[in-house]
Amino acid sequence: MPKLIKRDADGQFAAAEDAFIDIREEDGVPAAIPGNGPVILSLARFQEEGDALLSGGRQVGVRIASNEAIEDLAYDLPRLALVALEFPKYRDGRAYTSARLLRERFGYTGEIRAVGDVLREQAGFMVRCGIDAFEVSDGSSPEEWAAATHRYRHVYQRAADSRAPAWKERA
Amino acid sequence: MKALTANRLLDGEVVFWNEGRWVEQFSDAQLFDDADPAGEEAVATGKSQPTVIVEPYLIDLTETEAGPVPVSYRERIRALGPTNHPTHGKQAEANAVNAAIAHAEGAARSTGRLDLIRRK
Amino acid sequence: MYRYDEIDREFLADRANEFRLQVGRRLAGEITEDQFKPLRLMNGLYLQLHAYMLRIAVPYGSMDSRQMRALADIARRYDRGYGHFTTRQNIQFNWTKLADAPDMLDALAAVDMHAIQTSGNCIRNTTSDPFAGATAEEVDDPRVWCEVIRQWSTLHPEFSYLPRKFKIAVTAADHDRAAVKVHDIGLILKRGDDGSLGFEVFVGGGQGRTPYVAPSIRKHLPVDQLLSYLEAILRVYNRHGRRDNIYKARIKILVSSLGAEEFTRQVEEEWSKIDVAAANLPDTELARIRAAFAPLPFQALPATSEAFEAAKADPAFARFARNNVRAHKQPGYAVVVVSLKKVGDTPGDASADQMDLVADLAETHSLDDIRVTHEQNLVLPHVKLDAVPTVYAALAAAGLATPNIDLASDIIACPGLDYCALANARAIPVAQDIAARFDDDRADLVGELKIKISGCINACGHHHVGHIGILGVDKKGEEFYQLSLGGSGAEDASLAQILGPAVPANRVADAVDTLVETYLTQRSGEERFLDTFRRVGLAPFKEAVYAEAH
Repeated sequence: MPKLIKRDADGQFAAAEDAFIDIREEDGVPAAIPGNGPVILSLARFQEEGDALLSGGRQVGVRIASNEAIEDLAYDLPRLALVALEFPKYRDGRAYTSARLLRERFGYTGEIRAVGDVLREQAGFMVRCGIDAFEVSDGSSPEEWAAATHRYRHVYQRAADSRAPAWKERA
Repeated sequence: MKALTANRLLDGEVVFWNEGRWVEQFSDAQLFDDADPAGEEAVATGKSQPTVIVEPYLIDLTETEAGPVPVSYRERIRALGPTNHPTHGKQAEANAVNAAIAHAEGAARSTGRLDLIRRK
Repeated sequence: MYRYDEIDREFLADRANEFRLQVGRRLAGEITEDQFKPLRLMNGLYLQLHAYMLRIAVPYGSMDSRQMRALADIARRYDRGYGHFTTRQNIQFNWTKLADAPDMLDALAAVDMHAIQTSGNCIRNTTSDPFAGATAEEVDDPRVWCEVIRQWSTLHPEFSYLPRKFKIAVTAADHDRAAVKVHDIGLILKRGDDGSLGFEVFVGGGQGRTPYVAPSIRKHLPVDQLLSYLEAILRVYNRHGRRDNIYKARIKILVSSLGAEEFTRQVEEEWSKIDVAAANLPDTELARIRAAFAPLPFQALPATSEAFEAAKADPAFARFARNNVRAHKQPGYAVVVVSLKKVGDTPGDASADQMDLVADLAETHSLDDIRVTHEQNLVLPHVKLDAVPTVYAALAAAGLATPNIDLASDIIACPGLDYCALANARAIPVAQDIAARFDDDRADLVGELKIKISGCINACGHHHVGHIGILGVDKKGEEFYQLSLGGSGAEDASLAQILGPAVPANRVADAVDTLVETYLTQRSGEERFLDTFRRVGLAPFKEAVYAEAH
């Protein structure tokens, strides 16, 4: 079971309970959606069944594959409980762009969760792009994520976080 | 004929396997007959030592008058050192086997050759 | 030189500390080699054939004497007394120990240097004109914009895991000494019709397995819009560049498959959605960066120097003055190119003692400024004409004054199979064989001839843009070399055409000889080898080389 770590508005990292069930295909067959608890759906599944689930009062999150366009979710963002961005391999950096667009272009303020090959070495990049929940795959702890995020006293460019880039520090 | 080689984790030095230890000179390497399962067993042992060496693999050898030498020129350069600095690397030690490697020609591709992108 | 401040220094210290922790975890067995490899590569540390290789960034090829001495110190303390300057204007050490690498990064950080992003699928060291700030040709100092890009691209949170590596080059002169059109992004600073400063933006050039000369996608990007426009290009690439095939992952393949027009449309569309006011650097910071390049204390001097002219009585100096000394924008000064191509030596290599000497000369005679060229030489960019004879004498005594810049023996060669784990064949001995055929007189007779050698298809030796390009291939386990003609990485960029079947190692120098003799026969007037080739085509060269083979 992957561990979930969340970063709160004050920048503190803590282990979190995961109330969501991630509904995945198994052997090409979509899994059944159980009970009435919070779920995470693929984009395609959400486009088919999202309305019904939401109007039933269910909390719904959407999982975006790295080759899917975050723009396709733009109008639905206000009613989503979270957006999960997939890192099929840590080397696949497309989700960083998706995260930044969610925060900066679409003004999304809900949870953005990194899922897949999520390693603490990527902590700094993920946080800077606006990701605030991490389904870690390397067994790392909230303390290690906090340390990795704070390793650099300075950053050089603006991103989706609130850190002042070097040029602002200098001004 | 085969020998087992790797690079040492700590300094990247080319090393060869001999009966449970890693040695720096090809002349000290243990030689395996092609069909001898001991070669693959040594690879497995090497892979179980990730804090000692990196990426162990078997290299093909060919018989010369001075004894067996690596088939591929890539492995011969690994066994000796760079050809532009004759005093750098293992070739600094003069021995008969090194001399044989230096004079070997007519290379064929070694089956021990790695996926080079992966290797980087 | 751009002066680092406390922020830059703390950043480098944090980076070195991070790598020390990562090395510690690897040595302790807490992370596997597969997990560690990308971390070491992000710090320029490769595992090569004989040892680790540390690639150190020389941002836009510019450094001072203190930094060069630190490199000499590293060469002595951690390596075998030499280093190799690369076609990315960087330096590599070939005999690095993993256990020493954190100490080496500390030593570098102490002089404002690092190995950040010298490998990996990220934005690499931005390269530039080695004569920047010295040549009268330029409309602005490209280093200012290189530094803007350096800061912006350093640990960029969105663009550190691109489909593939990403190389940017900037120049501001008509004469392109930075090979901008064979880069992922090439930027040429120009004045617009209204006199305003802008970049012509080229995207999708590159060498490697599938070479392209970059198309121009924007004629005039106002300079203050640089970062937002780069963000748009990188974002389109990050999202749509191929990730399923390493050989098709560079941006050149995306640009080529979409077509330059459609790629441009996507970039412009993305750019229109970016909050450019937030993405661009404010004018105040641009001005601060410009000011941080401390103005140089040039003296008012006559345009000509008696000492310089008188020294030409020595034919050796006259030849050096003709071939290795270039015009400076400031009257009474010259640009001196230090040759790392002594015949018989390894192209691009410098010993620790040579590095120290260049540092001393820079401090005394070149306003403490040193450059690395992508052609693997060094430059003392601001030498008084009066001092050139003194500088020449010191360089000559150290084997650094070979009068062969841009000539046949000034060969680019990658480390090849003598060091590199990726190589298929050696490059260094081939360069040495060829250079031995061109003594000073013959090299002069032949004139400009750029020979470039790569030991594998990755083309670190720029063979696609050589007047004569040479590619090492592995043919049934033996070293063979494919010759190609007519490439150029300069303002008249073109890709070389393959001459014919590859030749064995011991035939390469003969073949080059034949090519050169054919050129001399065909040459008309002042034509360079490249000009003659472009006029007469491949046929006479092909006939000459392969006729001999029968």
